[in-house]
Amino acid sequence: MSTTAVGLGSTVLSPPVADQPERGRLELVITQRDGRSRASRQFHEGALRVLRPHFLDGSGQVCFVLVNPGGAYLGADLYVIEVNVEDGARLLLTTQSATKIYRTPGSFAEQRMRLVLGDGAQLELAPDQLIAFREASYRQNTHVTVRPTSSLIMAEVVTPGWSPDGAAFRYEEVRLRTEIAVDTGEALQPLALDNLLIVPSDADVEGMGFMEGYSHVGSLLVVDRRVDQALADELHELTRMHEAYTGVSLTATVAGTTGLVLRSLSNSTEELQRLLQASTTLLRRRWYGQLPLDLRKY
Amino acid sequence: MKATPGYQLALQQLTDSALPTGAFAHSFGFETYIERGLVRDEASFGVWLSAFVRQQLTFSDGLAIRLVYEDHPVAELDCLLTAQLLPRQLREASMKMGGRLLEIGGDVFPSQALQEYRGLVSSGRASGHQPLAFAVVARSLGVPVNKALAAYLFAAVTSLTQNAVRAVPLGQNAGQRLLRQAADAVAAAVERVGRLTPDDFGAVSPGLEISQMRHERQRARMFMS
Repeated sequence: MSTTAVGLGSTVLSPPVADQPERGRLELVITQRDGRSRASRQFHEGALRVLRPHFLDGSGQVCFVLVNPGGAYLGADLYVIEVNVEDGARLLLTTQSATKIYRTPGSFAEQRMRLVLGDGAQLELAPDQLIAFREASYRQNTHVTVRPTSSLIMAEVVTPGWSPDGAAFRYEEVRLRTEIAVDTGEALQPLALDNLLIVPSDADVEGMGFMEGYSHVGSLLVVDRRVDQALADELHELTRMHEAYTGVSLTATVAGTTGLVLRSLSNSTEELQRLLQASTTLLRRRWYGQLPLDLRKY
Repeated sequence: MKATPGYQLALQQLTDSALPTGAFAHSFGFETYIERGLVRDEASFGVWLSAFVRQQLTFSDGLAIRLVYEDHPVAELDCLLTAQLLPRQLREASMKMGGRLLEIGGDVFPSQALQEYRGLVSSGRASGHQPLAFAVVARSLGVPVNKALAAYLFAAVTSLTQNAVRAVPLGQNAGQRLLRQAADAVAAAVERVGRLTPDDFGAVSPGLEISQMRHERQRARMFMS
């Protein structure tokens, strides 16, 4: 398809660039050398940094832990994260703790993330849950570019923060918009546009046809040449052992690579994390011979 | 002023439930709710229908139609819809019904714009989605955007209600009461589509989406989606 397709996706149909100042910036380039992945460039500024990289196993996948020393996102805060995983390199990017969004009166906090994966590169994104507290507005815009041979695993859990009257759903708005495009060598072609917009004050958001009586949302996005219907069916079977209400489906195939989407509703962060972990454990073991992710938080 | 605008009868033909696009074969996920016992009567189907109008038809179909009218290139919108309709059956339904609409439109309401869209689809550069095919035809007929939106949304609501009358099942009069109620939801949706920003495009309801995904694995099914 034409190269302008993503031009539209990333400019015309993307959120307007807010003019808020950057509160934090992180840039990371991961390169593969001598069978191990390492950062060939690392830059941070403001209220975002990473802990010293480490290896959780002998697979060569490097693990970076993202830290927000401020502890929370506040109104008008803008955080920018740019990560480039070069050809053949493998990165696990996680967070030190939950991303908390506090009150953002008259404004919103925003995280803008741009991820670029090279040939044969792998990125596993496993952040802690996002907690939106009372009167919080949050926008997360993630642009991912993969090659047909890249491998991407992104897991995410959104939870409502506690509010004084104990009711769930007291945040104002959460927008999580993820665009994934395939760089085919000739053009950038959209593969998946996942736009989750939850406005708890809208009529009937809690009920049938929206949150179905649940308060927490979990998502898993996987892009890989090895994604197929059999894998989707297998993950569906696996999720049947969990209480959360879950669906699994596939995107169209672009340049030989396919996306898998798993969406889940529950009333418990732990339940969603168990389900997402069970799913990623299956993929890690099958594709990389790796053990379940065991993140000892530092 | 003429009593009947030039496009009026064409628009009626285009949105008539007898238009052979195959709408009778799609529940867009409500069959999953029937299976779970959540959609079981007039009132519960009404709840589902209004959520479907407020979410899917507003943020996806409705906004796509508006963007065609605002001169966003159809090829790009087509690509975005394919990427945004994450549940496979939903995407396939949009393409199947869109393909039929492109074919019928080419036959009875030919235009330069429609010819171009059909060319993109036949050369593999576009998938051919239902709301885009409808918007291209309606615009070429001179239908104003809000009339086109209202007609499209009400036609969608009508075929879903007819499908529910067969599947739940509901009485014919219950179906008519539901349509009268849905008319208010459609009017509100048209108004809301006009206020959306481009970054709202394709905002999904997780519940509708999960149900559409789960329909793929439902054992006894009347519908393809």
